[in-house]
Amino acid sequence: MSKIEVDTIEPQSGTSLTLGASGDTITIPSGATLDGSSATLTGIGTATVNGITEADQWRVNTNFSNSVNGANEDITSNWERADTTDFEKIGTGLTESSGIFSFPSTGKYFISAHSWFYQTSATSGAHFKLFVTTDNSSYNERAQSIGGGDSDRPVSLKFNSIIDCTDTSNVKFKFVTNGGTYITWQCSTNSQKTGFNIIRLGDT
Amino acid sequence: MRPTHIEDYLVSLHTGQWFGWSDSKNKVYSNLIIHDSSKTKPTEQECIDGLAQLQADYDQAITDRETKKESAKTKLEALGLTTEEIKEAFGI
Repeated sequence: MSKIEVDTIEPQSGTSLTLGASGDTITIPSGATLDGSSATLTGIGTATVNGITEADQWRVNTNFSNSVNGANEDITSNWERADTTDFEKIGTGLTESSGIFSFPSTGKYFISAHSWFYQTSATSGAHFKLFVTTDNSSYNERAQSIGGGDSDRPVSLKFNSIIDCTDTSNVKFKFVTNGGTYITWQCSTNSQKTGFNIIRLGDT
Repeated sequence: MRPTHIEDYLVSLHTGQWFGWSDSKNKVYSNLIIHDSSKTKPTEQECIDGLAQLQADYDQAITDRETKKESAKTKLEALGLTTEEIKEAFGI
């Protein structure tokens, strides 16, 4: 194999330069840096270069009701990772303990959550919320959705959020409902009725 | 929503997340587990009977609702309202 040592490669004529041909593999050796920071790169997105390194899906598998009316209550049990045959997480995935979710690595994560409830009495509003901690202790509300209506009517709630996890030991999150004893939050082991999807967008 | 599963009966017994399933893919009585030790596990027969009662209550509520609608419609017609006027004004 011959070796060319030059400092610059430019088109012999015109302004286009082609490396290799269709089907070829262009290899950048380990330890080398492909620096395009001052260039205009087209057709290459962050996801294309790095890939999505984490994507996960969780849900609550058993219906439940609120213990009291009008108070925040953590969803602490019956969480499961989606386990139908048409789902597979990307990466390590989250870990869960009594409704507290921990990240597998630092980074910026997008969360899309959904729930729905059915009430036997009219309600002016029931909440589905996301709480986040950055010190593994005190949690703050970071997203919520609210819905209500007449009795015997289903209500769907959803929200999106982005969490910047700078420390996997201290940045965690949980989900909270605030409704009533007459509300049944709908859950399933085969379908995303109350649950969330999470995707790592990039580094912190 | 008409109750169709013993989970609907269990939810009606106590609030909160007091129960779950050892196999969430197979929600049958033998897989029922109790998270809250202050709650008593109902018997299988209680679950069967409880679900049947919930279904009967639901069906009766639907029947009562339709009966009341028909009764209201009849009374409104007796007052001289047309079928179209009743439907436009009250949706029945």
